[in-house]
Amino acid sequence: MSGAGGLDIRMPIGGLFVVLGLLIGGYGLATAGDAAHYAKSLSLNVNLWWGLVMLGFGLLMLMGAVRTQRQASVRPALQTAEGRATEQRERRTGLER
Amino acid sequence: MEPAPVTHLASIDYAVMAVYFAAVLGVGWGLRRVMRTSTDFFLSGRSLSPWITGLAFISANLGAQEVIGMGASGAKYGIATSHFYWVGAIPAMVFVGLFMMPFYYGSRARSVPEYLRLRFDEKTRTLNAVSFAVMTVFSSGISMYAMGKLLNLLLGWSFDVSVLVSACIVLAYILLGGLTSAIYNEVLQFFLIVFGFAPLVGLGLHAIGGWQGLSTRLAEVAVTRGLPPNAYTQAWVNMGDATRNPVGVEWFGLVMGLGFVLSFGYWCTDFLVVQRAMAADSMTAARRTPLIAAVPKMLFPFLVILPGMIALVLGAGQGGSAGQGLVPAKLAAGGAPLLDGAGHVVLDYDLATPMMLVHLFPSGMLGLGLTALMASFMSGMAGNVTAFNTVWTYDIYQSHIRRGASDEHYLWMGRASTVGGILLAIGAAYVAGAFNNIMDLLQLVFAFVNAPLFATFALGMFWRRSTGHGAFTGLLAGTLGAAIHHGLTLPAGTHAGVKGGYLGVLHVFPSELAQTFWTAIVAWVTCFVVTLVVSLATRPRDPDELRGLVYSLTPRLTDRGLPWIERPWVLATVVLVLTLALNLVFF
Repeated sequence: MSGAGGLDIRMPIGGLFVVLGLLIGGYGLATAGDAAHYAKSLSLNVNLWWGLVMLGFGLLMLMGAVRTQRQASVRPALQTAEGRATEQRERRTGLER
Repeated sequence: MEPAPVTHLASIDYAVMAVYFAAVLGVGWGLRRVMRTSTDFFLSGRSLSPWITGLAFISANLGAQEVIGMGASGAKYGIATSHFYWVGAIPAMVFVGLFMMPFYYGSRARSVPEYLRLRFDEKTRTLNAVSFAVMTVFSSGISMYAMGKLLNLLLGWSFDVSVLVSACIVLAYILLGGLTSAIYNEVLQFFLIVFGFAPLVGLGLHAIGGWQGLSTRLAEVAVTRGLPPNAYTQAWVNMGDATRNPVGVEWFGLVMGLGFVLSFGYWCTDFLVVQRAMAADSMTAARRTPLIAAVPKMLFPFLVILPGMIALVLGAGQGGSAGQGLVPAKLAAGGAPLLDGAGHVVLDYDLATPMMLVHLFPSGMLGLGLTALMASFMSGMAGNVTAFNTVWTYDIYQSHIRRGASDEHYLWMGRASTVGGILLAIGAAYVAGAFNNIMDLLQLVFAFVNAPLFATFALGMFWRRSTGHGAFTGLLAGTLGAAIHHGLTLPAGTHAGVKGGYLGVLHVFPSELAQTFWTAIVAWVTCFVVTLVVSLATRPRDPDELRGLVYSLTPRLTDRGLPWIERPWVLATVVLVLTLALNLVFF
């Protein structure tokens, strides 16, 4: 999902929704039990519930971005079995001394 | 004296807005180092995945006219507003993806007018570029005007400050990150709009007793207005007779005017949306862009039309009143409700959706809903500005004012024209504001300028004999035809003037939309016939020059190498079948 410049778009989206989820969900938690506050929304603490939904969505986005980043990042050859095999082969054939 | 604002915000609401502003500016900042060449700035270096360009494709169109205007139309016309989506968007989006994107993307044109330059000639391109540039400036001006007026009314914010602050934020993130930044933010705004409005629809439906409750109450409203009881809840059954449906259009005018001429003219030729697809990283990605966009577009009626419909019938318990629900009356200059010719109160439909936000959301969610509203204004504005700066720089500046300058110079001009475009749009914002419904005004502008366009592109892409002289005279004739038709007709209950009839009244249409649709049909037919005749009378171009630009001279694309899920045809079929199903469900 990353485009120009390597900024994965899921990063800012995930970040925004995590912050919004915490902010609105936290506010919902703080105002829980305040019946007058939620008269408008038919006595449903919509801040708390929707805050949690947004937090979940944000975390999913961030997780997706982080996983892609891990897969794409360069690791030293010796850390993987495939890399070690390649190094050995290269040493045998004299490509690397 | 200024009337008192409808509501006040709590600190939590301001905090939510601040987080959003920080996020969009942060995206611009995060992308700032990518801008090295003009292609980076104007076309995102053709490097984006189709999911990103697809969501941006739909979000650039999701401006004020969409969220506010479609809510307004929902309150005014009911579920028939879905025709703007299921008839007036999806088929055209599928067509542009399957049949036209190969020429836009494949020709390596950097803009839609530039395609016209390659296919026809310089004068056709310039005509299109200039009219498009003017239109984008007006569109973003209307968007800003609507936002400033709305925030002033709802929250008592100063019109000038709202307009200037939103313009500055859009300016900042486009200057920093160019088209990529605009596109990234459009995707972000897309999600914000969905998350801001979905709970509104949920709460609204809950308050009214679900779809069943909504149908019952809308049936009562329909009967008091002299319409069949199902007029607001069924999209097709009353389309046989313009006087039996709230839209005031009969099915032929709707399908041909909206579904064919206006819709194809917008979705298939408007650089604002096509630019998003051109930024995709491959031909398949470019073709899938509008098809991916069609999926959310198909579902948007539930997100943007339902709030308007619910607003019309919410009862006294939720702050509404009989016959108009939450929708307030339009006020005359003295503060008294405005009455129409028959003595009925004129409703301010543009406030339907905002009133729903204010009445159903407690502070916290209210901040989110208003932020979603602002996000829609900003994504629309940014879409227009990025299309404007590209067309200005490539199609007007580079081809007429200064040829052959360095790429650095054009990159600089891109930034300068971003500033210029936004300044012009601010000017337009202060000029805008004569129509009851923003949608009607935009449709009128599109009818004059865009309606003939699709005839030109269709003939250009699918008839190799069409010539530059033919296209140019066809476009002029089509626009002139639209103006003459508009000038000779009037919608019922209006007077000659801006609504038409300025050349004398030959025909009276049942509604403004009917007039708009038929104006579009006249424009398209005029352009088609004139292009055809003039092309046959002028010298055709050498077929060798037209390879890759015309259907019959371009090798067919094959999707064989792709997994079936990524094949454009598969996606297109799924989208069309689902759209048909939705039409049948709400028939």
